[in-house]
Amino acid sequence: MTTSTQTQNMSANNFEQCLKCSICTVYCPVSAVTPLYPGPKQAGPDGERYRLKNKDFFNEALKMCLNCKRCEVACPSGVNIGDIIQAARIKYSTHRPSLRDMMLANTDFVGTMASPFASIANPVLKLKPVKAVLHGVMAIDKHRTFPDYTNRKFESWFKKEAAAHQAHYEKQVSYFHGCYVNYNYPQLGKDFVKVMNAVGYGVNLLEKEKCCGVALIANGMPKQARRQGEVNMASMRKAIAQGHQVLTTSSTCTFTMRDEYAHLLGIDNHDVRDSITLATRFLFQLLESGEIKLAFKNDFHKRVAYHSACHMERMGWVPYSTRLLRMIPGIDFVMLESQCCGISGTYGFKKENYERSQAIGKGLFDQIKELTPDCVATDCETCKWQIEMSTGVTVENPISIIAQALDVEETRRLNNA
Amino acid sequence: MKFDIIIIGGGLSGLTAGIALAQAGRDVAVISAGQSTLHFSSGSLDLLGCDNNGNIVNNPLNAIASLNASHPYKKVSNVESIAQEAKQLLTEAGITTTGDATANHWRITPIGALKPTWLSVDGMATMQDAGTMPWKRVALVNIINYLDFPTKLIAAGLRNRGIEVDIKAVTLRELNELRKSPSEMRSTNIAKVLERNNLLQGLADAINQVTVDGNYDMVLLPAVMGIDSCSAASTMLNLIAPEASYVATLPPSVPGVRMQTLLRKRFAALDGTFLTGDQVIEGNFQGNKLNSVKTAKLEGERLEADNFILATGSFMSRGLVADYNHVYEPALGVDVDSNSLDRTTWAQLNVTSAQPYMEMGVTTDTKLHCLLGGKPVSNLYAAGSILSGHNSIKLSDAAGVDMLTALQVTHNILNQQ
Repeated sequence: MTTSTQTQNMSANNFEQCLKCSICTVYCPVSAVTPLYPGPKQAGPDGERYRLKNKDFFNEALKMCLNCKRCEVACPSGVNIGDIIQAARIKYSTHRPSLRDMMLANTDFVGTMASPFASIANPVLKLKPVKAVLHGVMAIDKHRTFPDYTNRKFESWFKKEAAAHQAHYEKQVSYFHGCYVNYNYPQLGKDFVKVMNAVGYGVNLLEKEKCCGVALIANGMPKQARRQGEVNMASMRKAIAQGHQVLTTSSTCTFTMRDEYAHLLGIDNHDVRDSITLATRFLFQLLESGEIKLAFKNDFHKRVAYHSACHMERMGWVPYSTRLLRMIPGIDFVMLESQCCGISGTYGFKKENYERSQAIGKGLFDQIKELTPDCVATDCETCKWQIEMSTGVTVENPISIIAQALDVEETRRLNNA
Repeated sequence: MKFDIIIIGGGLSGLTAGIALAQAGRDVAVISAGQSTLHFSSGSLDLLGCDNNGNIVNNPLNAIASLNASHPYKKVSNVESIAQEAKQLLTEAGITTTGDATANHWRITPIGALKPTWLSVDGMATMQDAGTMPWKRVALVNIINYLDFPTKLIAAGLRNRGIEVDIKAVTLRELNELRKSPSEMRSTNIAKVLERNNLLQGLADAINQVTVDGNYDMVLLPAVMGIDSCSAASTMLNLIAPEASYVATLPPSVPGVRMQTLLRKRFAALDGTFLTGDQVIEGNFQGNKLNSVKTAKLEGERLEADNFILATGSFMSRGLVADYNHVYEPALGVDVDSNSLDRTTWAQLNVTSAQPYMEMGVTTDTKLHCLLGGKPVSNLYAAGSILSGHNSIKLSDAAGVDMLTALQVTHNILNQQ
């Protein structure tokens, strides 16, 4: 045998590197709470051997996978276990998405429909009879409350209140705000603009932004996800051509567009990927290189517990957000033990998943309740809903915390902005 | 990103060094490419079980003197005090153990053999002396359908030493549920089901029922309790009427997972930064110094530090890699003492013989500095299983080498100034 036989005989997702050590099974949050899920080793590389021979070995129980990727993070042999499972679902599943699944997955469409009627939709969605109908007819769990829709989308606010003076800044970035900022929580987008402007960067929206597609992938609609992904990539290429980095404030959107587009959807993003970055990473790197400076208020004080969202952990970017937060003098920082919160986007909204979702997150909720911090910081919006609902503690994106702590005038002065 | 010290490898050795250095007030990062071999732990830590001639060692401290000059212990300045420091570090992390470096005791392996060892996690079945058995009649109680605990082999091993052994099996409804996915009937899932559903009393009742009339002086259980905390493991033992203790199971090891978790929590509590699931792929050397490293996930990031520790383990953890022509260290490419290109000399045909590849590893100077092109790198140290010059299977010294060299490196770094 030649060296190349050994070194180049690599299958997709490092499938053949699995040693059967079973370490991944220790960290699967799903198999820890239900025996109906076959676990990452069986659902991933072990099952894949059979599926390669005959597609009938595909098991619909794989839809219970949260795609949290904690198996991949734990794997000592670099096997992309979560990707193997998701790819098998895309390739073999015959399950058709229900109306409920389509509604949950189409965050763009639903957000567009709901926002103009936010003042009606928000209270209505909280009414017990409405929840009962959603629970009974739509199979959306009655314990869940939809995040409030805003009556003024972030994009509308930006165009009216912020866009005009962005060109004053010498340096420019583009912002992929994501559905959550646009339809539910524009405050995070406003915080982002405030921080970027203070350090001398003008903010631009993309020519066209579509939902990153993470919920479409999870709900079995890869074709639509691919179409939306191509739109996003085309818009980002234009932004990059103008010399912009594309910044985000959601770890999951970031992970989807950088890694899942190529791995799961077959979108060629190689020319865009490196320019998509999380705002905390962008800021940390500029601070470390001395290109920007931050000044903080003297009277800011907050006890913050940081939760490592699954996809943040998978990207390996947790230290960017945590080290950035720790730079704020008024912050009393606690690191929570890294565990999945159980929501996984739309997963926890489904009636059939609710109990499992809460059981998965219990360890994390217990930690938070014991610590009673002023707020939990995390880079993922769906973790925010889950943790707020399950603990009552406020959850904020690190960018919002920075915006609150920032001495804007002094920061502007330091950066000649 | 800048730290005082960067440790490559997040297993027993890397975390030992990380905790000791963070305790000394240093800003430490640990970069871990997947979970460690602690997941295969016996629940005991070996310091030196056998000498070069294969004779059982009673007093490791005395026997260390007669080891080969190449053995890593020869670079540990004061084995006795550093061994005490190691035990203390474990205790402070919440891992209480019995044993000390002047007298080995005995542990029971998952296939019923007895092995000399240094420290055993509280609750593990141990014996002071392999000649006189502490028990006459033992009940070996397994959980029905838990396959990673070969009771017949364990019973045979104990019977060979004159102990009467009865094999019993118990279950609970909730444990039976786990069998719905037979591949997931694993130690760690059993532990999670028992502890997170308050089933310890129920299981203890079932065990008491099958052992009450047997006049046993010891009940031995598979070590599948205590994944979240030590207290669950000890609570369980207290609930059983005669004396009870644990025997190690096949992987994954619950006591090992617990050690890993507790060490990691301790490191986090000391403000250490743990980079999960990432891999060092390149070192930037200048003269006889390592300036920075690059990782697979933190693309474009230079991770800088004053000192670095390489604690990536041996072949199993991919700290060492063998291809058809070479044995090499893949992260930084430092010197490895495998001079022979003739791979037939790397292994002996008889698998139980002392295997030459077991002694391969990175070469170091007397201060445990790694070598590059034969020259010491002044700020790069190696610790743990990656070190050359000993066969951890034949000598039963793996955990001792991991912890003692890690602490020695810590002293070497702190004494630099």
